[in-house]
Amino acid sequence: MKEKEYSVIGKRVNKVDGLELVTGKAKFAGDLRFPGMLHGYAKRSEIPTGIIKSIDISKALEAPGVHLVFTGENIPGPNLIGILPPFDQTLLAKDRVRYAGESVAFVVAETKNQAKNGASQITLEIEPTKPVLSLDEALDPASPKIHPDGNVTFSRNLIKGDVDLGFAEADVIVEGVYETSYQEHAYIEPEAVCVVPGGDGRITIYASCQSPFHLRGHIAANLGQPASKVRVVQTYTGGSFGGKDDVAVEIGALAALAAVKLGRPVMVNHDREESIIGSNLRHPSRIKYKTGAKKDGTLVAKQVEILLDGGAYASESPFVTMKALIHAAGPYRIPNVHIKSTALYTNKTYSGAFRGFGVPQVTFASESQMDELAAKLGMDPVELRKKNALLPGDSNATGQVFKESVGILDTLQVIEREREKLKEFKGDDHYLYGTGISSMLQGISNGAEGIDVVGASVQMSQDGSVLVGIGLTELGQGSRTVFAQITAEVLGVPLEKVTVKTVDTDSVHDSGPTVASRSTTVGGKAVLTAAEAVKESLVTMAGLMFNSPGAPIVLKDNFAILEASPEARIPLDQVATAAYWTGFPLMNLTFSKAPPSNYDHDTHQGDIYVAYNYGTHLMQIRIDRITGEVTVLRHLACHDVGKVINPKGLEGQVEGGSLIGFGLAHMEKIVHSPEGRIINSNFADYAVPTIKDRIPTEVVSIEKPTSNGPFGAKGVGEPPVAGTASAFANAVSAALGKRVKKLPVTKEDILILLSEREKK
Amino acid sequence: MRIRFLCNNEQRDLEIDPSLRAIDLLRDTLGLTGTKEGCGKGECGACTILVNGKPVSSCIMLAAKLDGTRVETIEGVKGKDEELHPLQQAFLEEGAVQCGFCTPGMILSSKALLEEKSKPTEEEIQEALSGNFCRCTGYGKILKAVKKAGQLLEEKR
Repeated sequence: MKEKEYSVIGKRVNKVDGLELVTGKAKFAGDLRFPGMLHGYAKRSEIPTGIIKSIDISKALEAPGVHLVFTGENIPGPNLIGILPPFDQTLLAKDRVRYAGESVAFVVAETKNQAKNGASQITLEIEPTKPVLSLDEALDPASPKIHPDGNVTFSRNLIKGDVDLGFAEADVIVEGVYETSYQEHAYIEPEAVCVVPGGDGRITIYASCQSPFHLRGHIAANLGQPASKVRVVQTYTGGSFGGKDDVAVEIGALAALAAVKLGRPVMVNHDREESIIGSNLRHPSRIKYKTGAKKDGTLVAKQVEILLDGGAYASESPFVTMKALIHAAGPYRIPNVHIKSTALYTNKTYSGAFRGFGVPQVTFASESQMDELAAKLGMDPVELRKKNALLPGDSNATGQVFKESVGILDTLQVIEREREKLKEFKGDDHYLYGTGISSMLQGISNGAEGIDVVGASVQMSQDGSVLVGIGLTELGQGSRTVFAQITAEVLGVPLEKVTVKTVDTDSVHDSGPTVASRSTTVGGKAVLTAAEAVKESLVTMAGLMFNSPGAPIVLKDNFAILEASPEARIPLDQVATAAYWTGFPLMNLTFSKAPPSNYDHDTHQGDIYVAYNYGTHLMQIRIDRITGEVTVLRHLACHDVGKVINPKGLEGQVEGGSLIGFGLAHMEKIVHSPEGRIINSNFADYAVPTIKDRIPTEVVSIEKPTSNGPFGAKGVGEPPVAGTASAFANAVSAALGKRVKKLPVTKEDILILLSEREKK
Repeated sequence: MRIRFLCNNEQRDLEIDPSLRAIDLLRDTLGLTGTKEGCGKGECGACTILVNGKPVSSCIMLAAKLDGTRVETIEGVKGKDEELHPLQQAFLEEGAVQCGFCTPGMILSSKALLEEKSKPTEEEIQEALSGNFCRCTGYGKILKAVKKAGQLLEEKR
């Protein structure tokens, strides 16, 4: 069957909100100015844990320009950030602090400098207690309890088949322990909010944020106000990657409390240091793997124990724990699986959502195991993966069976072909060469992890222009463009005629959080459904205008066209005007809901996500034996994305996600002092990849459409992180002839591994 | 103190606090919020402006230093007849902009480069942009955009 010809879908379109960004006209939260606006700044704890004995704010109150100082005692609501259960995190610490960097008091002044100066005048008396800083300390029953129920944040098991029987059948077993480190989001725009009290008793929060409806609910609760009194407007947001959720609630609520109290607008605009120490990081992990296979490479059993360092508060640890659990078996058919995944509390900055959400950590470990297994079996790593790759109809680790849109084998075939084309290099005294591959999967949607409802509206005006509303946010990833393309395609209008609304909680509908690579798939499907309802009105109206009611009509190029005689066409604005006056609705509001899932949360068996993105990466590297410097010679990122909506945007997602994966695997490291303070909270000491560190990512897409996504599309935001990090680790291991078991493996680490190798 | 400088081709004559940073003068006094603050320490390049054609980090520069200079911010970057500058056009068309927060600084650093050299090599582009961080794009499309803008500029000459 010939593929359907689309007008806008699959076309390389420009970002619909690109113009205001390249001209500097887009207003980010920190760019807003309101008459009488004040600035807020938090006083933070410098020690990781201790009992708050006293907070003396008297000097701060007298500091120049200061209007208000408050502590946790002065908050009318529950004093909670807690965007998700177990709601254990305060806006301002009361009684005790649990990490160095935790906010304890809030100062509001005429200028940011005055607020900072005021904060420096606060005397904090905290009696230090023994901090819990490592996974081992957190596990030790003799360690202090960070929260009343102990140091386990969340722990779950995935049980499929019988793992002991599985290992009994295995001819070959490999085992290993793998570790990954912290990663900072390092979006270039630090967190910012500006809160404006209205004369009507309502307040408006302009925020750089990821999930405005989270902010609305939690800020309202802290104010002791109904949610309907609070309006959150997402401003242009300078990157988020999972990071602007909890912290946006924190600063949004603090600024809102002050704005209400003072009756004046209040802005909080974080410094880079605050952005690093005072908002969540990617979970470090320690993961124990055991994989069993038959002589021919057939996987028979997998046992995994995942430990995640969640830091001082739960944040999204429970969900990251689950996601790691669900993905630890990789994109393979394995009959017997037992995975245990646990997040632990430690007295460090809290860990939470970061692009990939637990999947990069387990993929690194799992794909290292696959290479070790291949070596032990004397099998080619691609061959081993192909042999076990999930096929349509197979049962995956949670027992979910997808009959369509399972493209992992296709990605492996592409990589196998491309691997043959790689130039062959021979190592010498100066350089070592290595090639690594990695395969992965990433669940698309929240699925059974939580709610997965999206509210979307599409409205055509009489002039044929279209307004789209959805509660999912544009963070740079290009979702507004995707929503506009879907609408334009269905309604037969050019892209320029479609405007996607700013996410304003007063004018769009709660669509759940902008997470889990779900915007294109779950959000796009809702937009598609709403657009189709409007199309129905236009088609019905056009049928009447053609005097051929019910006849097939196509909407294209701004016209309604009678399919039987394409020369019969009416401009869409005329059809829209007629429909408006006739009373056919030109507006539709849809709530799309993921199909009901049958999921057992004790064994993690059942249907969880609406689809998976599958991918295989290939990376060829060169290591300088003298400096440890790594050059990526080739990097191929091949993902099954269902259907490409905007190739340009998709490439941007894969290239950008890949460099974040490369940073995780090779460059980025949060360093703590022995006392538990982050000591590299700036861009001079925390190595964000620059243009000189860029890798030559080539993007290849496989299109195995899913009926759960618009035009078959699946999300792609997160998957490249895991793919790149794991392929890099495998390439370095191949070059060194020594297994990398810890990420990041930096230049310095490579030199150490080299010297260890030479000693042998 | 009093400073005079040419800002986006407009003469400015201002009384300022000697401790004021250049970025605050631009953003707060002149309302030119296209210049962004990403780190406050001259490490990320988001606040890049051109002073006498050279890229500088306005977050670690005193406003007083602008006296007698020619300053260019993103608001002053334009093509002929108020259309987009070839760099803006190329960033848009190549997909070199995602969240857009680094974009003003990135475009200004690129502009300084292209004014010296319309056909820079990849190494020269990387050198010129090595102080401008981007967390979204992975830089590949930025590199392409700068090359393309160089070509567009050549054609227009």
